[in-house]
Amino acid sequence: MLNGLNIEGTTLLHRMSVRAKLAILLVCGLALYAVSSLYILIPAFVIAAAIYFTTGLAFREAISRLKPILFTIMILLIATAYLTSIHEAAESFFRLMAIVLFAGAVTATTATGAFIDEITLLLQPLDRLGLVRAADVGLAFGLVLRFVPDIFNHYQSIKEAHRARGLKVRPLTILAPLIILTLKDADTIAMAIDARGFRRPREKPH
Amino acid sequence: MTTRDLVLIALFTAIIVVLGLIPPVTLGFIPVPITAQSMGVMLAGCIIGAKRGALAYVLLVLLVAIGLPVLAGGRGGLAIIQGPTGGFVIGWIVATYVTGLIAERLVKEGQSEVRQFAGFFIASIVGGIGVLYAIGMPWVTAVTGTPLSAVATGSLAFIPGDLVKAVIATLAARAVLAGYPLLHARA
Repeated sequence: MLNGLNIEGTTLLHRMSVRAKLAILLVCGLALYAVSSLYILIPAFVIAAAIYFTTGLAFREAISRLKPILFTIMILLIATAYLTSIHEAAESFFRLMAIVLFAGAVTATTATGAFIDEITLLLQPLDRLGLVRAADVGLAFGLVLRFVPDIFNHYQSIKEAHRARGLKVRPLTILAPLIILTLKDADTIAMAIDARGFRRPREKPH
Repeated sequence: MTTRDLVLIALFTAIIVVLGLIPPVTLGFIPVPITAQSMGVMLAGCIIGAKRGALAYVLLVLLVAIGLPVLAGGRGGLAIIQGPTGGFVIGWIVATYVTGLIAERLVKEGQSEVRQFAGFFIASIVGGIGVLYAIGMPWVTAVTGTPLSAVATGSLAFIPGDLVKAVIATLAARAVLAGYPLLHARA
């Protein structure tokens, strides 16, 4: 039900470490906002598009992922072109599309597990300070992925219960039973996690 | 944080993901179809409170960032956060926190029903609409260069839908409070 948006491959971007990719994305993103020359923004856009379309993503899939965000960008930039200047709108278009395409390329070439490992690693300093437990992040991700199908089944059965009674399916009448049905399992799940010792108590510093 | 809090946070994130799988409904008098997922901020704040609600959204934003299609319509990935509406995605976390903070202060168990409804409604409006747009709209302006006034005018089209969502979230939050109270329960 929840497959990652990444695809397998062996391109340079696939082989790069997650940290390097995120760092490049961050630096390029910030750097492009400092630039307003089309002579830099258009080549950046072309390079990002080349990277995005060579990640191994099927062309149709690559386009369909861009559609919703392209739609928003176009609406906003038509307004910008009308209210300020076409030149400024063009700058924003190439800058935004370059960033969005590169971000899409990072998403397409990074496995979900690799991201989670990286987040856990990045949280280590905070873990040592005692602010968060880095291992909790992985556990929380696991819980979400594990329970989405279950909750969707809850939703389906509440919907059928509505139909059986001849009621219209409305968010209003679905939400409360769906939320109560799901959250009342929290105690049992928490007990099961503790019983298995997945969250060991923090060792006291000596 | 207890294991129970961690589980509640993860389960609520999962609920928000499922709300994105439910087909959107169109109401006759409102131009924009309403997705159940967009009520998540109000629901999370009003049902599991400020801290857990905000963490549920931190988890959701991380799921988006690592490229899982958890948003309505199967959207996800870093491009969503880097795009023009990224401010709304980041804003969800703060908006949920504020919604929860207000709900925790205004709504008490044992109050009259009307006061509970009023409390949840105010929390949903201030947090889920006020705070969210206060973060999302300047972000759009910063990213696209569209003047803030134009963004604000365009956003007006979403306000009637948002008010309907606040009403639905208020009724749902109050039903959950009556059936399985969590807002004030600190494990």
